Amino acid sequence: MARRRTFIPPVERVRDGFAFNIGNEERQLVARLLNELSQLLVGESGDPRLVRIFPPAYHLADDADADAEYQRLMREELVASRLSGITTVNEALQASGPVSEETMVAFVQAINGLRLVLGTILDVSEDQDPDDIDDDDPQAGEYHLYNFLSWLLDWAVRALGEPA
Amino acid sequence: MAPTPVPVEVGEIDTDDVTVPDRPWIVLVWNDPINLMSYVTFVFQKIFGYSLEKATALMLDVHQKGRAVVSSGAREKAEIDVFRLHEHGLWATMQQDD
Repeated sequence: MARRRTFIPPVERVRDGFAFNIGNEERQLVARLLNELSQLLVGESGDPRLVRIFPPAYHLADDADADAEYQRLMREELVASRLSGITTVNEALQASGPVSEETMVAFVQAINGLRLVLGTILDVSEDQDPDDIDDDDPQAGEYHLYNFLSWLLDWAVRALGEPA
Repeated sequence: MAPTPVPVEVGEIDTDDVTVPDRPWIVLVWNDPINLMSYVTFVFQKIFGYSLEKATALMLDVHQKGRAVVSSGAREKAEIDVFRLHEHGLWATMQQDD
């Protein structure tokens, strides 16, 4: 008799890599959000939703020129790196087989990117528990999304930390 | 009578050959309410090759003290580290050590 597993994690390490145990609806949701993020990344550079995606590199006032130079040279690379990761993840979400460790790393970076944007929009703060949100809250939908992504990311990181 | 000293031509000093001992640059990661503790630990392990113990200790430093120095070295190296941390969505900055 087969042993019935009571809980199947959304992401787990399997023999040939990593498996996504999420349904089509969730895969499509993540893909849709990632496409929105791609649009945002190539859009208006001063978009306030992107502040956490492009933080300053030099924080001291004396280094302001160095930071301007860093942003000028590296922002484009940062966008390219994020877009390439999103493409990798979207392809993986459409496939059914296990994915490589490299793809799983791209996945955690991409999901975290979504959380950074959503967390910025929601203005998530240290002394507030996003889990503890009222269903009447006008932003309840965004909070549920944020919590879903946190849950997914946590399991993906856990799977990456498991010995091969 | 002493002869008028004739200025000696010294030419320009080639500053390229002068190595000034440079203070190293430090890379800081700042606490933020969005990044998950498990994810930050994972990123430290992956980028710097730190053990789980060291990465966890650094993550807790960031979380409890507000920031932690995660690497140091020449400016170019520090800038690469900052870029890789930014690629992973961490709030990293650099400054020259004092």
